[in-house]
Amino acid sequence: MSTKIITPVDEFADCLPQEYKELVARGPYREPRSVEDLGTFKEIIEEHPHCAGCGVSLGIRLLAAALPSPEDTLIVGTPGCSFFGLVQTALNYSNTAFGNQNAVAAGLKRMLQIRFPHVHKDVVVVAGDGGIADIGLDLTLHSWFRQEKITTIMLDNEVYANTGGQESGMSRQGRVLNMAPQGKRFPKIPVFEMAKVSGCVYGVRVTVASPRKVGRAVRNAILVAREFGPTYVQIFTPCPTNMKFSPNQTLKVAKEAEKDHYTYEEFLSTEVATYLAQL
Amino acid sequence: MYAAAKIELEKCIGCKLCILSCPEPNVLLYLPETKQVSVNQQRCKGCGLCVVICPKDALSVSSI
Repeated sequence: MSTKIITPVDEFADCLPQEYKELVARGPYREPRSVEDLGTFKEIIEEHPHCAGCGVSLGIRLLAAALPSPEDTLIVGTPGCSFFGLVQTALNYSNTAFGNQNAVAAGLKRMLQIRFPHVHKDVVVVAGDGGIADIGLDLTLHSWFRQEKITTIMLDNEVYANTGGQESGMSRQGRVLNMAPQGKRFPKIPVFEMAKVSGCVYGVRVTVASPRKVGRAVRNAILVAREFGPTYVQIFTPCPTNMKFSPNQTLKVAKEAEKDHYTYEEFLSTEVATYLAQL
Repeated sequence: MYAAAKIELEKCIGCKLCILSCPEPNVLLYLPETKQVSVNQQRCKGCGLCVVICPKDALSVSSI
């Protein structure tokens, strides 16, 4: 995309909101930015209604900063906590019916490949654990089986946080939640392991306590999806509101999970490894 | 009453750990001239994640 599209003509420059002007002047569009550069440029995420200390919003912020080319990226989301922040980003965003995100993304990717054959238009699914692991599991798996060239990013807060704390398939066994008073009775759905055997060419499991790893994973996943096939990133984003811890403990909880059930893990084929080494 | 983070510039060493831990966009800004961090208090929700992660105790959360 040419930055001409977002630069206002002189006559209208005064009418635009301050945020837009900053985005044109200091946005991430002209030169590639990464997670390390956060704080030095105007982020494409705007003020959002997430709770204080929300892990999901930290995950969204990190992944938005890590996009290789935000101007050519289309994010597809689904209802849940994740879309509160995403609808206010300065990039193309499409919301879908609950669980349909990977099917919609696959269609959009095919259409964009026909319309812009010489440009890489990245289609990235960003959804919560409910959208990917529970209600949209069939469509997610089928998009991987079909080798669609899209990136799927799960912001896993292990609960339906938006609707008051019901247990999700990704909640841990025994977890007591607002609307699961006896604790969850079956184990966490192994979506990451399913991605390995369902055709994903690159996958990473990471937590928000390692921001640089999140940035690297998202960037690699999108670059690999351009050339090879489906990629998957699973980010642990703890929820202080429903897991009942203080908002300033989010990173501590994520750090502890990193040592326990959310260890950093990456899988990739040899040709993908060779491709990433060349970059 | 609103709570927001406050920074003591004498203690800030510009390690940028707080910027990577903040869930709010465009709140903590890095000033390359002074190699320090500034806080946009109007947008801060006062969660305190930056306070916990700061190795020099330069940040604190208080009412504004």
